[in-house]
Amino acid sequence: MAAPPLQLHTPASIGPASGPGDIKSRPAWSPYDDNGGTCVAVAGSDYCIVAASTRLSTGFSILTRDCSKLFQISEQVYIASAGFQADIRALQKMLQTRNVMYQHIHRKPMSASALAQLLGNNLYYKRFFPYFTWNLCVGLDPEGKGSVYTYDPVGSFERVGYSCQGSGKDLIQPVLDNQLKAASPLVLPSENWMTALPLEQAQDLVRDAFVSAGERDIYTGDCVEILTITTGGVHRETLDLKKD
Amino acid sequence: MSGIGTGYDLSVSTFSPDGRVFQTAYAQKAVDNGGTVVGIRCKDGVVLGVEKPVASKMLVGGSNRSTYPINQQTGMGIAGVSADGRQIVNRAMQEATQYKGFYGEVIPGYVLSERIASYVHLFNLYWYVRPFGAALLMASYDSEGPQLYLIEPGGTAHRYFGTAIGKGRQSAKTDIEKLKLTELSCRQGVVEVAKILHTVHDEEKPFELELAWICDESNKEFKRVPADLAAEAEQQAKAALDEDMDS
Amino acid sequence: MFAKAPSHSTALGPGCAGPPLANPQQLSSAQASAHERGSHQPSCGAAPFAVDASMLRSTGSQPHKHTQSPYVTGSSVLAITYAGGVMLASDTLASYGSTKRYKSVQRLVKVNDSTVLGAGGEISDLQFILNMLDDLKTEDYCADDGQSLSSQELYSYLSRVMYNRRNKMDPLWNSLIIAGLEGGKPFLGSVNMIGVAFSDDHLATGFGNHLARPLFRKRHRPDMSEEEATALIREALEVCYYRDKQSINKFQIAKVTASEGVSISEPFALPTKWEYKAFVDPTRNAVGVW
Repeated sequence: MAAPPLQLHTPASIGPASGPGDIKSRPAWSPYDDNGGTCVAVAGSDYCIVAASTRLSTGFSILTRDCSKLFQISEQVYIASAGFQADIRALQKMLQTRNVMYQHIHRKPMSASALAQLLGNNLYYKRFFPYFTWNLCVGLDPEGKGSVYTYDPVGSFERVGYSCQGSGKDLIQPVLDNQLKAASPLVLPSENWMTALPLEQAQDLVRDAFVSAGERDIYTGDCVEILTITTGGVHRETLDLKKD
Repeated sequence: MSGIGTGYDLSVSTFSPDGRVFQTAYAQKAVDNGGTVVGIRCKDGVVLGVEKPVASKMLVGGSNRSTYPINQQTGMGIAGVSADGRQIVNRAMQEATQYKGFYGEVIPGYVLSERIASYVHLFNLYWYVRPFGAALLMASYDSEGPQLYLIEPGGTAHRYFGTAIGKGRQSAKTDIEKLKLTELSCRQGVVEVAKILHTVHDEEKPFELELAWICDESNKEFKRVPADLAAEAEQQAKAALDEDMDS
Repeated sequence: MFAKAPSHSTALGPGCAGPPLANPQQLSSAQASAHERGSHQPSCGAAPFAVDASMLRSTGSQPHKHTQSPYVTGSSVLAITYAGGVMLASDTLASYGSTKRYKSVQRLVKVNDSTVLGAGGEISDLQFILNMLDDLKTEDYCADDGQSLSSQELYSYLSRVMYNRRNKMDPLWNSLIIAGLEGGKPFLGSVNMIGVAFSDDHLATGFGNHLARPLFRKRHRPDMSEEEATALIREALEVCYYRDKQSINKFQIAKVTASEGVSISEPFALPTKWEYKAFVDPTRNAVGVW
């Protein structure tokens, strides 16, 4: 009979009947963490709103109350990301580099749709060691209409009228579905999914959504950064949330 | 050059019948034709001075550096082909970093000089390479105190109290021999080096003086001589020169 | 390498590890197989202290190539900004598991004239990082252009290094705090072993995040005077020392200010008081516990 492979005498290996393979008693080191955070984006016919909470957490601890999850790619194009913050930083840095390269070639900033495809490609490229990030790509399309692209961590994405990502999405997404009255994607011929809400109402909805998520989601709180993108420019506001 | 036309000077891997390697000698010539570089070891440190011919009036002052720090406690001055010299400087930086990583201590001057000499020597051994057309004066300050080394294209490394290479080396060396190096401080040394370089530079062509030192005053770090001190030294050198002319 | 799980051996007495002498049948299967293999192993069945070379051999599973867990570790580092500067503090302990192994390890290190690095976690990895920074500094010196890396740049650099190593599944097992002055303004940045990096005006790693930061949140102001900052950080150290078992009463405080640059204090001890009623009789107000 072949002898079992030799093992280092860790406390766990000394216990009764420790067979090959179950050497470790402590959980294996993980390259991932979930730092939480919520992002919301709403596309209107002549505006786009993108908002993200600023709390950075690990487990039940708060690391900082002021860590922006929004990242500007060009004047009217932003990325909002929740999930593992180290991956978010890496993703942002990579996209910024690619944006510079794009401008060297094309002599113009990237459009929301170009960035959307680029982001999708890069997430998909790393699908076997994914960026653990939940992203929204937000901007205005060539006609000045709001555009929101929503992703999963491995790169599948679609253009939508509004979306929510991150730890608070289970709380916020259904409310958006209800309030923004999205047509079912099953309806044929397909109907316009763009929200018809006027800007001020949409902003109020986003504020309410974050305040509400902050009540129940421990990873959403402290502050929310809300950007309103229109052809006239970008307006930034912050709204304090509960710090508990 | 008696080697010309005999076929013994084509490769660095061929000796002439009287035992010389002409390619190596030619490399040395490249150094001898370049700007003068002077190094002196004073009582509290080492001073390096480089005479840099200014090739064009349109050159930005201070470009084409020819003194380089290798690490905090070592520096080099290049004579000859500066592009070749820079290659050696880069190698010296690598050697210094590698030594520090391996032994956890700063590389001593004699070790670095020997390692660099070995590296330079490699280019005297194979037909498919040419020797470096540069020689280096190396200043170091370690536990043995301040030291001055000269590494030449043939792969030799020697330690000096003071020496000079390049076009004006002969008279510069004569001038250095007149100095009382054991009593001279680096502050005085800087002036002496400036004087020597101004003396040996007899042409009307403009030149820039690059001065670097490693001494107690520079916190035992290899640095360029502070701008005000360098300017003052140069002024004194010019004044001394004018005096000589008059008398 | 590891101490064996405590047990009572009839042969060796209470508190001593190992099965009874001369009764190898009672060895557990793992011990028994280990026992047969090397004659240099103790016959009492106690865990060998030396590393068995055969264990380093590839036996189905690969030998350890990467750090899967730390060995010698440091605990919390605390840091706050104040008017015109930053202040860091940590103890000088490096633990080997629960053993206080090295008691005079400096975990606050001057990186350059405007930056201090504070580190917790694996000490060997810290030394690796310091060697790396030292090479970087020399490279910077050789460039001889009058520029040196700012605190923000060092923070950015270290966050890339840490993230890069986590991508290789070979992490540097540390929590780092980079503190200094960025364009004359106080800067604090934190990086951990998986590359999560953020900046705030008060930071703490490890236990400090639980014990010191609530204090910082309550008491810290960016415009504090140096005296106030010192008082706050000493109080935070005291709290950490009372509750963190892997800490000792030997601390250092580092400061970076525009006027004085980097200064790291000599190790000092804090006055402590263990006679608090809650310490002496922790169950006084909890009826029914023992």
